[in-house]
Amino acid sequence: MANNFAVTAALVRDTFREALARKIFWGFLGCSTALILFFLFIMKIDVVEGAVATMSIFGKDTRTMDLTRLVREVHGGIAAFLYTAGLFLAVFASAGLIPTIFEPGRIELLLSKPVARHHILLGRYLGNVLVIAANMFYLVLAIWIIFGVKTGVWTYQFLYSTAITVFVFAILLALVLLVAVLSESAVVATMVTFGVMLVSPILAQRHVIERLLSSEWSRDTVRYFYFALPKVFEIGRICREIVLGRPVTDWMPVWSSALFGVVILSAGLYSFSRRNY
Amino acid sequence: MPSDYAIETEGLTKIFRSFWSGAEFVAVDGISLRVRRGATFGLLGPNGAGKTTFVKMLLSASHPTRGRALIFGEDGRNHRARRPIGYLPENHRFPTYMTGEGMLDFYGALSGLDGPSRKRRIPELLALTGLEKWGGVRLGKYSKGMLQRVGLAQALMHEPTLLILDEPSDGVDPIGRRQIRDIMQALEARGVTIFLNSHLLAEVEAFCHDVAIIHRGKLALEGEVKDLTAGSGYRVKAEHVPERLAEELRTAGAAIFVNAAPQNGVPQSATPLNGFREFQFGTREAANRGVDLLRSQSCEIESVIRTASTLEDVFMRTIDGK
Repeated sequence: MANNFAVTAALVRDTFREALARKIFWGFLGCSTALILFFLFIMKIDVVEGAVATMSIFGKDTRTMDLTRLVREVHGGIAAFLYTAGLFLAVFASAGLIPTIFEPGRIELLLSKPVARHHILLGRYLGNVLVIAANMFYLVLAIWIIFGVKTGVWTYQFLYSTAITVFVFAILLALVLLVAVLSESAVVATMVTFGVMLVSPILAQRHVIERLLSSEWSRDTVRYFYFALPKVFEIGRICREIVLGRPVTDWMPVWSSALFGVVILSAGLYSFSRRNY
Repeated sequence: MPSDYAIETEGLTKIFRSFWSGAEFVAVDGISLRVRRGATFGLLGPNGAGKTTFVKMLLSASHPTRGRALIFGEDGRNHRARRPIGYLPENHRFPTYMTGEGMLDFYGALSGLDGPSRKRRIPELLALTGLEKWGGVRLGKYSKGMLQRVGLAQALMHEPTLLILDEPSDGVDPIGRRQIRDIMQALEARGVTIFLNSHLLAEVEAFCHDVAIIHRGKLALEGEVKDLTAGSGYRVKAEHVPERLAEELRTAGAAIFVNAAPQNGVPQSATPLNGFREFQFGTREAANRGVDLLRSQSCEIESVIRTASTLEDVFMRTIDGK
């Protein structure tokens, strides 16, 4: 057990080291820090009588509204931006971290060690998720603190956006992992994953699309893809609802996407255990 | 019960099938091999013979189509069976972002070593491989020979009892080569089983006690180096040798004819070349007796040469069928 933990820790450490060496970690950290500095110095919020606020960016007043609502709205906007842009950036930047271990001359050495194949791949996967989680948490926590200090409003729901973004990233990374195992190509893995992300907002409009389709089989196909693929777009909407403090009425996109992630990750691990290197 | 063999394979076979055409390629064809505990074993074969695929199947990096491989009696497919193995692959690609120390720490952890043991072993092994000043330097700055040495250090991190080395001297200068050989000899003295996959026949001959030659995926020859290279002896060249005397030498079993095409593998009485005949004697005594006999029949001795059958001769004969 202790040995399993030590092996996992070594694999995670190695992924962080590679992310640092490839400047992925620094790139993310730089972007996050720039965004934090923007909120720290550029945005100014004046609290009036504790309940109404004026927010100004570059010194120009933009809105005056209820303080808690203002903070929630801003949090919601930031969360939606981080979710969309962050996911694209995270997949793009870190997709190469998994296929690199399949390089000839590297994989044989890894497989010669007394570690189960699935453990090697899961360690790498976990390391990759943690690299992104660390950056997301740093960014969201810093923004949350800045807003809290500036306004005195500490709505904890904003912090959930980290967990939701990392959760969706983990699902998408499972797809990267499966495609990388099958194709041993970072490019193919990234393209397939981006494809799934881009098709998500289209499939989210399935009721509209179904009305436009004439045949039953084409409607079934759309339905199949909708239920089978991760619902990135709809989870983004759920993320915003949560940050805004609104109740979530339908959790289906979350659990069906989680199911997709588990199935795809299992398929990736199985394929890896069967492959010849 | 612990096995007497470090490696045992039974009918190990690997067939690659083309996904599209379904065409088959037999890379390893039913190899059954045993490597004793504590042996120094050399695996030889021309390029594409199936050596690397065989080694990969031992390590379970490639799955056998048929047969099985046992490591110290345990099924090689079980990852725990690989615990006693230290492995240095050919054409390794160590992550260049790691330092020498970082790399040893990483692979040491994967080999099951705890933190304090890794801390103790890293400087020891860097010193052993002559890289003590390079531990903190990124592997991207290492020369090929240095990478080979740090790779060997990596294989030794957890003090393995079976060392599988794939071309360990590749790209290493003569001093480094000597260093690697000294390390291997020290390990052999400690009872570590060494399985060497090398193209350098002289290296295998100098170091290994047992060898196997793989050709076209099959086990072509296996045995102890001293037995396989036992064709050494003395070659005597003489003039004016009567046919009767030549036959007498041959039937006495003291000599075989040289410069004669063998028929069904048996040397035949040769037609003299420019009046000379050559005889191969297995021992010094036999050569002396032969020379005495030739001289007693007034034959002129042109030359007496000591000959040796090298592993290269054995290898070439096995591969070319000569």
